[in-house]
Amino acid sequence: MTDNQNPLSPHLQIYRWHISSLLSITHRISGVINLFSLILIFFWVLVLSLGENHYESFLLVINSFVGKFFLIGFTWSMSFHLLSGIRHLIWDFGYGFEIKTANISGIIVIISSLILTVVFWLMGRGLI
Amino acid sequence: MKETRKWIFHRISAVIVAPLFAWLYFTLISLSTKNYQEAIYFFENSLVRILVIVLFFVGFFHAKISLNEIFNDYIHDPKIKNVANILSLILSIIVPVIILILLVYKI
Repeated sequence: MTDNQNPLSPHLQIYRWHISSLLSITHRISGVINLFSLILIFFWVLVLSLGENHYESFLLVINSFVGKFFLIGFTWSMSFHLLSGIRHLIWDFGYGFEIKTANISGIIVIISSLILTVVFWLMGRGLI
Repeated sequence: MKETRKWIFHRISAVIVAPLFAWLYFTLISLSTKNYQEAIYFFENSLVRILVIVLFFVGFFHAKISLNEIFNDYIHDPKIKNVANILSLILSIIVPVIILILLVYKI
């Protein structure tokens, strides 16, 4: 195959960042992070099947500073992807395409994902 | 798979996976403060087992479609793209099958 000399269309770095483009790439990245999160759950179940000693060691790792950091990060990723996914589904039904509406829904997704992470974490850990 | 069909399956799987993923994640955050016996007790429930198995099969199916899109966008070498797609297909089959075996026979 010969080299294609056709000009390329402008790429991502050419454009000014908008909330929609930021959320679009973050949706994709959070989806990949969620895959790792699902793999973590897989290991959780795997370690549980190996017996009590292995499971207690696993809990020590999960409850360490680094473990909590990752768990909170994964919780945010899951919250963000879920809410951003709902925004995409609403778009699929043909609503919310106006620039102002898309900007507002984007901001709602970001703020709600942070709130949902805090609520999930505090309720899950029995702190509220 | 045709692109339109892929798009529809991607949306359907998202609607199934979203509540299951949120529920299981919330439960696991809660289980991280409990001991081994309580975790086993949680997974002994048949409905829990079924929902976790469904989450893994549908979740990895959803991820497989998404990864395929990402590989199409960012990997330009057809050979590497093929290998990446095959690896993601193997992962999306093996992990849910192992979860099924673990939950049915080991826990």
